[in-house]
Amino acid sequence: MYTIELNSVRKTYDQFVAVDNLSFSIEQGAVFGLLGPNGAGKTSTIRMMIGITAPDSGEIRMFDQPFHRPQLQRVGYLPEERGLYKKMKVHEQLVFIGELHGMNATSARQKATEWCQKLEIADKLQNKVEELSKGMQQKIQFIAALLHDPDFIIMDEPFFGLDPVNASLLKDVMLELKKQGKTILFSTHRMDTVEKLCDSICVINKGAPVLQGELKQIKARYGKSNIQIQYDGNGAFLEHNPLVGAYNNYGNYVEVRLAPGADSQQLLKMVAERSRVNRFELMEPSLEEIFIEVVGKTDA
Amino acid sequence: MRNIFLIARREYLERVRTKSFLIMTILIPLMMAGFLLGPSLLMNPMSHGAKHLVIVASHPQTAETIRQELTKAQGEQNKQIADSKKNTLKRTAETPSELTVDVDTNTSADERAALSQKVRNKQLDGVIWATDEALAAEKIPFITRDTSSFIQNATIGLGVDRALHREALKAKGLSDQEIDSVLKRLDVDPQDPAGTGSGNPQITFVVSFIMVMILYMSVLLYGINVMRAILDEKTSRIMEVMLSVSRPNEMMAGKILGVGAVGLTQIAIWIGTAVVMMGGNLVASGEQLKGVITWQMLLAFAVYYLLGFALYSTVYAAIGAMVNSEQEAQQLQFLAVLPLAASLGIMFNVIQFPNSTIAVWASIFPFTSPLIMFSRIAVQIPSLWQIGLSLAVMIATIVGMVLLCGRIYRVGILMYGKKPTLPEIIKWLRYA
Repeated sequence: MYTIELNSVRKTYDQFVAVDNLSFSIEQGAVFGLLGPNGAGKTSTIRMMIGITAPDSGEIRMFDQPFHRPQLQRVGYLPEERGLYKKMKVHEQLVFIGELHGMNATSARQKATEWCQKLEIADKLQNKVEELSKGMQQKIQFIAALLHDPDFIIMDEPFFGLDPVNASLLKDVMLELKKQGKTILFSTHRMDTVEKLCDSICVINKGAPVLQGELKQIKARYGKSNIQIQYDGNGAFLEHNPLVGAYNNYGNYVEVRLAPGADSQQLLKMVAERSRVNRFELMEPSLEEIFIEVVGKTDA
Repeated sequence: MRNIFLIARREYLERVRTKSFLIMTILIPLMMAGFLLGPSLLMNPMSHGAKHLVIVASHPQTAETIRQELTKAQGEQNKQIADSKKNTLKRTAETPSELTVDVDTNTSADERAALSQKVRNKQLDGVIWATDEALAAEKIPFITRDTSSFIQNATIGLGVDRALHREALKAKGLSDQEIDSVLKRLDVDPQDPAGTGSGNPQITFVVSFIMVMILYMSVLLYGINVMRAILDEKTSRIMEVMLSVSRPNEMMAGKILGVGAVGLTQIAIWIGTAVVMMGGNLVASGEQLKGVITWQMLLAFAVYYLLGFALYSTVYAAIGAMVNSEQEAQQLQFLAVLPLAASLGIMFNVIQFPNSTIAVWASIFPFTSPLIMFSRIAVQIPSLWQIGLSLAVMIATIVGMVLLCGRIYRVGILMYGKKPTLPEIIKWLRYA
């Protein structure tokens, strides 16, 4: 059973193609990452999923049915542009949004209180939103998206602007929701969070998909061609080395991707000859690297 | 439908609870009172306490007659003021004033210069130069500091005119009694063809004017409130959350209904307070209001308020959706205010001549019809086909505007940052 399916979806604004021939589907209970650089068409894609705009062509199916608006009551959406009614009290605001999602006032009130307790802001229920700190407002926005117990949760840059403590709090909530069998879609350009949470991803650039599939498979496809080297001495050997496909110097260590066909043992020997090796580790490429590579390729 | 109700309810409660609602509810009636009483306070002829005039004439008798006429005119005016004090409808701040008139027979140029100097030094308020030469020239100089206060000057002119008529008739040998009956003023009482009296035209005018002003201010005020509500939603970026649960048309409808209900509440408070405060007075003035405030008028007020508000609020909703800040909205708001201001501009004409061509067409043109058709109904009920046509045209326009503005709204609310150009807005209308 698929929570959402996009089939050859296309959206243009005037001459500008925001989304082009995009297809992907998310199984129920999966955590999915929609990735892409700024302006890739992530938000445009999400806006089509929740009916703010309609695709020019292609089809969107939700909960195994063609898209229709009443389905949206089962969807929770945290937009990238955060916004709340500034003059409204926290509790009233949550109840209002809950009611718009089809809840009755009583259960909305009760759920709002429960969630605020869970996220440690129960003492702010009667405060106006404008009196709260940015982080607290984020939490309320988060609750607003989850209050009505949606089956499909869409989060556009959910961790943006959160301090580590709150980010981890929210991450725990997300994991809990995943356990409950909810389908979650993350849209982000921050790869570290995706790597920790997502089962599968779709990378889009300039509106078109450039890489998609299960995260494990993608990583396996890129193989263990990556090596982290920590050494004392001159790093000049990295330049013009036929064994090195590409490298990235992080200061404390260097991450090297082998040239196609190169042997890691040869490189180890070479490094050992020229410097003192503290660490030499074969590893999976990070998602960020894959991202930079595929996006860089399509840009070139 | 549930969403429209929820959005309208939130909008209503949020607005009614604010301090500004309270302040406006109190302030607007005060402003209205100031608007109505202010000019009459300022323009009231010869009511600024004591006045001191000098009449210069070649013959003492001429000067004396003028003096008597002016004093008599002032006496009548004072009596009128005293009467109107009992009248709850025209309660003005006028006070009876004393008029001192001196007579002078020195017609030399030196005397004129000396008196002019006194007027300039505010020792005198005016000099009437009714010498034989002036009479022969049929132009009597009135030396005053307030050359532009035409009502005061017209009153004095009338007094002098009557005095000179009296003099002329006396010279023909008529007795004072005969002269009085000749100079007696007659009133013309306008009646419509049905034979009923017109009531009190002055009160009709004041009442329709007040109601038109209330209509004008509420439509404008609440239209702007709709625009603000949408701007607020745009700047607080809550739009996207709202859009994921409701359609743009539902949001627009909810906002318009919510803000409109606030307007109705406010008007209800005003009317309620007025009824309570006037209490007994209302019974007293009931006789005067009879035939002025009719049920047709109240019905028309309600209908034209609701339709006018619906029409203008859709325009304001579209403006709110198009722009990013109030400053940007200023220029576009002008377009919305223009027809309303134009309606006010021709309203005096319409009340005077409710069946003139311009009045008929302005009462059918949808953007002016709320004010103009209402004032026509208030003065004299126009033919039913005109009312029907104006309602039909207005409802059709509202439907059209809702569809049109709904489209602008739907696209505009998600456009941040840049103010759209006209071609862009036209393009928005074409988006499916």
